[in-house]
Amino acid sequence: MPAGFNSLLPALVLIVLFFVVPVLALLLRSVTEPEPGLQNYATLLGDGTYARVFFNTFLVAAVVTAVTVVVAFPVAWMLAIMPSALASIIFGVIILSMWTNLLTRTYAWMVLLQRTGVINRALLAIGIIDQPLPLINNLTGVTIGMVYIMLPFMILPLVGTLRAIDPMTLRAAALCGASPIQAFRRILLPLSLPGLAAGGLMVFVMSLGYFVTPALLGGTSNMMLAEMIAQMIQSLLNWGLGSAAAFILLVVIMALYALQLRLVGARRMTGGI
Amino acid sequence: MLLDYDRMGWLKIALLGFTALVAAFLLLPVVFIVLLSFGSSRWLAFPPPGWTLKWYRDLFADPSWLEAALTSARIATMTAILAVMIGLLASFALVRGQFRGREILRGLLLTPMVLPVVVFAIAIYAFFLRLGLGGTSIGFVIAHTVLALPFAIIPIATALEGFDKSIEDAAIVCGASPFEARLRITLPSIRIGIFSAAIFSFLASWDEVVVAIFMASPSLQTLPVKIWGSLRSDLSPVIAAASSLLVGLTLALMVVTALLQRKVKT
Repeated sequence: MPAGFNSLLPALVLIVLFFVVPVLALLLRSVTEPEPGLQNYATLLGDGTYARVFFNTFLVAAVVTAVTVVVAFPVAWMLAIMPSALASIIFGVIILSMWTNLLTRTYAWMVLLQRTGVINRALLAIGIIDQPLPLINNLTGVTIGMVYIMLPFMILPLVGTLRAIDPMTLRAAALCGASPIQAFRRILLPLSLPGLAAGGLMVFVMSLGYFVTPALLGGTSNMMLAEMIAQMIQSLLNWGLGSAAAFILLVVIMALYALQLRLVGARRMTGGI
Repeated sequence: MLLDYDRMGWLKIALLGFTALVAAFLLLPVVFIVLLSFGSSRWLAFPPPGWTLKWYRDLFADPSWLEAALTSARIATMTAILAVMIGLLASFALVRGQFRGREILRGLLLTPMVLPVVVFAIAIYAFFLRLGLGGTSIGFVIAHTVLALPFAIIPIATALEGFDKSIEDAAIVCGASPFEARLRITLPSIRIGIFSAAIFSFLASWDEVVVAIFMASPSLQTLPVKIWGSLRSDLSPVIAAASSLLVGLTLALMVVTALLQRKVKT
């Protein structure tokens, strides 16, 4: 195993041959099918139906990211400081949820959220609502299902960020007369901002291109981008339009990825998982 | 005092309560699906009117489920082996190599993790159709290895960064060949990283839905494709039974991981 460049070759061959080339070939189809030109992009960007899909996609990704960040922060905070015996139980739950088959988890939410599902029945029984809420086949269902999947990806790196903060800084703040709210706003939150930004961006990027959960929990009237791409290829066999949509998604995501690399650096990010 | 667990007062109670709620939320679907798989209701009523093993019997009576599981296991095992071998070699170059563009290459190798799977799925689907690899095991393994590679490189490279190279150099000074030193000193020291890489890349393939949906053929179906197909037609409790077995597998994997990590620490 030479430590130089040579041992990188198998990985490079694999990625170039079976990742870079196929993706570039796909992008080529977006400007050559059905005939050379940019008409596929014109169609996608000029049509109100497609504009709605783009809007839905960004909306869901933004809401999912916001909810995930707000929910994950207190959990990561506690995990960073709680006694290790207790923390390992919570970590166990997080890993179990994360490692459980994706379709299994989505299936569970399909059953839980359906009209006659447990959640609607429970809410009816308590008397909060008097008729079942539409929780599935719409963006509510997609959001719940996606937040569920994204939470571990936000919590786990954030614990690392919070653990790296020296508790002395907060003790000093308290000694100098800062109220807990001031200490939170002016010390804890700013110090955890890099972790929050990195995790939030990762969740946003993952949500933008997510396929499985929106396809199963979402409705046909508010499709998301990844689902639309799959449908254009699989059912409509419209390779030109499908690959143009794929290229738009790719450009947006690569731009955000570059932003993230600049924000946290490749090393920090890859160490986060 | 916001980071002093013992001096947070009421705030700690509130935050712990919230953490417990989130943990319950994370646990809910997993526990629910296991309970449901033993419920007697065909329509997935909960709490179930009675308990039964019928759905497990149905599951095992249908050979296509077992066949799909075996296909998945075979593809995921081959993927894990390939990804760990290629990832191990790549990690040495990425961590220790001295060449230009190392950071860019690192970024390139990790890109499959960031790019939406659906884009890669249609790209590789079209590519393999031309090569005649569509719907073949080899095609599956290649596509899954591309997706699994980042998950193999990250833990191995992290472990390698934490390993003190002077120990390896010392072995060479004492007469070991460079290859022998790596094999007998370095590899055992980063075995946790290698083990994590194997688990992550296995799971990356075992759980992979999107590429599989495009690549699958009637004669070659992985477990996620089988579940996907059933989910699209109806929410039969047989899926709950299959899902519960998958949860059991996850738990077993977690126990093995925890035991191995404990063994390494002591």
